Amino acid sequence: MYLSLRQTKKIKLIITHILLVIWAIVCLFPIYWVLITSFKLPIAVFQGPKYFPWIDFTPTLDAWKFLLTGPTSAAVYRSWSNSAILATTSAVIAVLIGGMAGYGLARFRYFWPGLKWHNKDIAFWIISQRMLPPVVIILPYMIMYRILGLIDTHFGMILAYTIFSLPFAVWILRDFFEGLPVEIEESALIDGASRFQAFRSIVLPISTPGFIATFLFCLVFTWNDYLFALMLTFSKASTLPMFIAGEGTQSYGPQWWYLSALSLLSIAPMILITLLVERYITRGLVVGAIK
Amino acid sequence: MENAGFPNLKPQVLPRSTVSRKRWWDIGAKYTFLMPTVILILALSIFPLIFSLILAFMSWDLSRLQGGIRFIGLQNFVTLFSDTRFWNTARVTVFFVLGSVGLQYILGFGLAILLNQEIRFRRFFRVAFLMPMMLTPAAVGYVGRMLFNESMGPINDIIKHLGGPVVPWLSNPKLALPSLILLDTWEWVPFMTIVLLAGLQSLPPEVLECARVDGAGDWTIFRHIIFPMLAPVSITAILIRALEAFKLFDIVMVMTGGGPGTATETVTMYAYIVGMKNGNLGYASAIAYSLLVMVILFSTLFLNSLRSRAGMAEG
Repeated sequence: MYLSLRQTKKIKLIITHILLVIWAIVCLFPIYWVLITSFKLPIAVFQGPKYFPWIDFTPTLDAWKFLLTGPTSAAVYRSWSNSAILATTSAVIAVLIGGMAGYGLARFRYFWPGLKWHNKDIAFWIISQRMLPPVVIILPYMIMYRILGLIDTHFGMILAYTIFSLPFAVWILRDFFEGLPVEIEESALIDGASRFQAFRSIVLPISTPGFIATFLFCLVFTWNDYLFALMLTFSKASTLPMFIAGEGTQSYGPQWWYLSALSLLSIAPMILITLLVERYITRGLVVGAIK
Repeated sequence: MENAGFPNLKPQVLPRSTVSRKRWWDIGAKYTFLMPTVILILALSIFPLIFSLILAFMSWDLSRLQGGIRFIGLQNFVTLFSDTRFWNTARVTVFFVLGSVGLQYILGFGLAILLNQEIRFRRFFRVAFLMPMMLTPAAVGYVGRMLFNESMGPINDIIKHLGGPVVPWLSNPKLALPSLILLDTWEWVPFMTIVLLAGLQSLPPEVLECARVDGAGDWTIFRHIIFPMLAPVSITAILIRALEAFKLFDIVMVMTGGGPGTATETVTMYAYIVGMKNGNLGYASAIAYSLLVMVILFSTLFLNSLRSRAGMAEG
């Protein structure tokens, strides 16, 4: 049988779509599974897998009621708001400080004579901090924080998360500023504006997309962090991932319906961010990886 | 990909004349922009790094923070060398890195090629494919525990319906690590897909067009044009993912807790157990530093082997 070029192309495209749909199911099924499990009764969990609400099992709000009004609800609210406060605050600080460094690296020529480092080397030095296994620096953090009384405080966690996000913020924003045309700033400088005035009144407003992308990145990293929270907090400043991990490893065994609802509390904001700003995230990733 | 946010331009530095007009201001400004970051990194990243290195040569018990520090030279590393539990965690970590990054690269490349065609519902696929890597790893580890559960998990249920046996994913020491690799792959294929897709989109279309006109088949084009041209992007993506994979901690903690036994215990986890639970900070630092050495060794070997291969191809 001889297929025309158009027919082969069409068949290829159909196969492509089939494969894409299969992978989309692989990607989304676990999320669907958590979602339906959070509406199951214990009996619907223990009877073996049930896939469709109203068909194989009757959905209830029991797990959600327990989560939001039960005995652990105070801890749930606290860890959720801790996560939110720590992630947003540290992301804002990291973006501001990192934005300044990124701007500096994009617009000035630096040279560190002792090390013979130019802008590129400095930028690499900064990003290399993000490549280290965090466990290497986390033990000293624990000791320093104990001595300074920063263990289990918001301030301490914000500091740790800022330094955790900072290299990435510098890296993405440097690339962003390098792409901005320099002429507008120049004309402002010639008109007598200082560097900081030019930065604040010209560069900042036109860089909003870059800042948003970077902010989201830092937010996602810190929201999802577990290691720092585990090492540096235990109750007052502890975060949602810690709460999830703690509940999941209880000796009485995991209560799946409850843990699913809990996981959704942590996952849902990230899903929302992905749905709303997928473009920014993709772009930031590409910059972070390729440049 | 649209260029709106990140136009691909060369770095621009102000012309000398403008700079010299405001020399004093500029020298001040120049350092004010960079210094906060440098100071923060020196104080909160470099200093802990040195601190940790010093700790690795100390014996320090966490229960007696106000004393009990002793310099013991290389003792920690000597202990480490004969610590079979440590070597097991090193083996688990390396196996995990190779398995998961390899799998992610292959799948990611495939998906990037699929996405780089004229497909429908592009936005839906992109969002769906991106989703797993955005999710909180602690929650993902827990989801993995649910999915891989022997009797109540959907994976075994599907295998059963296809006529397969009951697979003891998490209770068999031989299968626990592969399960972990599968879960990590699920979470991080998106990274590879996105980066490689951007690489594919940056290829000059003329080259591919020419090859096609010359009668090259899809496989030939992939093998001799796309794959070599994407080598730099591939290397960066693999390296970034590998560096991340070496840090493996959160999903293991939740999904297997290092078990069964110590079958899935990673280096980071072992350092955590020794440092936090047993309170032996010196030894924990030695373990953490050995992970750093592993990471550096891996990156160097990886890059060098690629370089020598490239050299051989030229010569």
